[in-house]
Amino acid sequence: MSLQKIAEVIVDTAGCKLEDVTPEAELAALGVDSLKAITVLFELEEAFDIEIPNEVIPSIVTVDDIISKIKEIQG
Amino acid sequence: MRNRRVVITGLGAVSGLGLNVAPFWDALKEGRSAIKPFDLPIENIKMPLAVTVPEYDQSKYFSPDELTLLDRFSQLAVIAAQEAVDDAGLVCGEAILTDAAAIIGSGCGGKHTDEATYDQLYKQQRSRAHPLTIPKGMPSAAASMVSIHLGIKGPAFALASACASGSHAIIQGMTMIQSGMIDVALVGASDAPFTYGLLKSWDALRVVTSDNCRPFCKDRSGLVLGEGAGMLLLESEEHAIKRGARIYAEIAGCGMTSDAGHITRPDVDGIANAIKNALHHAEVSTDEVDYINAHGTATKTNDLTETEAINRVFGKHAKDIAVSSTKSMHGHALGASSALELVATVLATHHDIIPPTANFTEADDKCNLDYVPNQSRKQKVNVAMSNSFAFGGLNAVITLKKYTN
Repeated sequence: MSLQKIAEVIVDTAGCKLEDVTPEAELAALGVDSLKAITVLFELEEAFDIEIPNEVIPSIVTVDDIISKIKEIQG
Repeated sequence: MRNRRVVITGLGAVSGLGLNVAPFWDALKEGRSAIKPFDLPIENIKMPLAVTVPEYDQSKYFSPDELTLLDRFSQLAVIAAQEAVDDAGLVCGEAILTDAAAIIGSGCGGKHTDEATYDQLYKQQRSRAHPLTIPKGMPSAAASMVSIHLGIKGPAFALASACASGSHAIIQGMTMIQSGMIDVALVGASDAPFTYGLLKSWDALRVVTSDNCRPFCKDRSGLVLGEGAGMLLLESEEHAIKRGARIYAEIAGCGMTSDAGHITRPDVDGIANAIKNALHHAEVSTDEVDYINAHGTATKTNDLTETEAINRVFGKHAKDIAVSSTKSMHGHALGASSALELVATVLATHHDIIPPTANFTEADDKCNLDYVPNQSRKQKVNVAMSNSFAFGGLNAVITLKKYTN
């Protein structure tokens, strides 16, 4: 898993600055609303060839939450 | 109780003739056609001709963020809607617009979005669909996007009746204003049909010409597909006068029928009754009509049937009416065509100039009306009609009157 890739997907989708995409940054604060969140998840599924289940979505608040979930899914 | 009068105070047009009303009307006056060789980067398409919006750079109109949610048919709708609102002298965010309706027709909806996703799923064997496929591709996406971009918070929805979608949407807005439900309505239609699957499907119907679009001619051989959007700002007369708006014309009546017959073959009775109803609703007699903007697809069947219906309704006066098909210039942009044609009819009434039927060669022996061949005509237009007849036998006719208070 590439942290850089995750950051790029968030930047491309939300139009925020790369330097603002820190692990502790909240997605909402980066401009990732509910619709953009599903686009981010779609792009990450494509990039890492994984399935992110719907159930985990409510627990994703920060960038670090995404990193943790992807690590968990990838085992 | 007599219904409230409804007037047209704003126009917007995106078409093969240009990105706004000015080049559209200039070309119609000159009898200049936008039909050109098919040069889109879509392989394995037999159609040699198309009408596409020229020199359109979406990034000049929308931010990258906005574009993620805008199918091409929504983009064209928003651009034309913005022009109609600007033309009416209204500003996004003001109360008049906030309370307005937005009724936007479409013949095919968000095909670019749908087909891109289907291509990924079926052809590229991808396992996931893009998550914005539904909100971007849904048939009502253009209505939503017009509402969002212009701040319209009144009734907003999409309307579909194939090639009459624009006319039905306009009629819906008109009747809502007449009834007193609303004062202002942004109405029209948008279509962007140049996608692989849709083009193949149209090709299969064998109604698309490989020669040229020659409505009512002996050598006509079918339609040329186009894309675009036509929008009109409608207001109650009282509302328009109160705010000092420029009035293009009165939208005085409508006639709607359905053939309840064949899915593609038009029916003389259905068409004739729609025209009769549009005259009756506008309280206009047959001999008052100066101009008819015909459905005029240049298919063998449509042009004969439409001519027969006009002869039946207008009798001896039929030959005195100027009848032209502007599809010969802006192509057949499906549902958007009917809206673009009403824009053309409004301008004909406003300027007393009748746009011609372009690409005209020799009239069909059985098409015996005055089709205004190739050159526009300076002529008083007090009453005009716009015909739209959709696949599935859904007919809509609109009557315009030169505005007098």
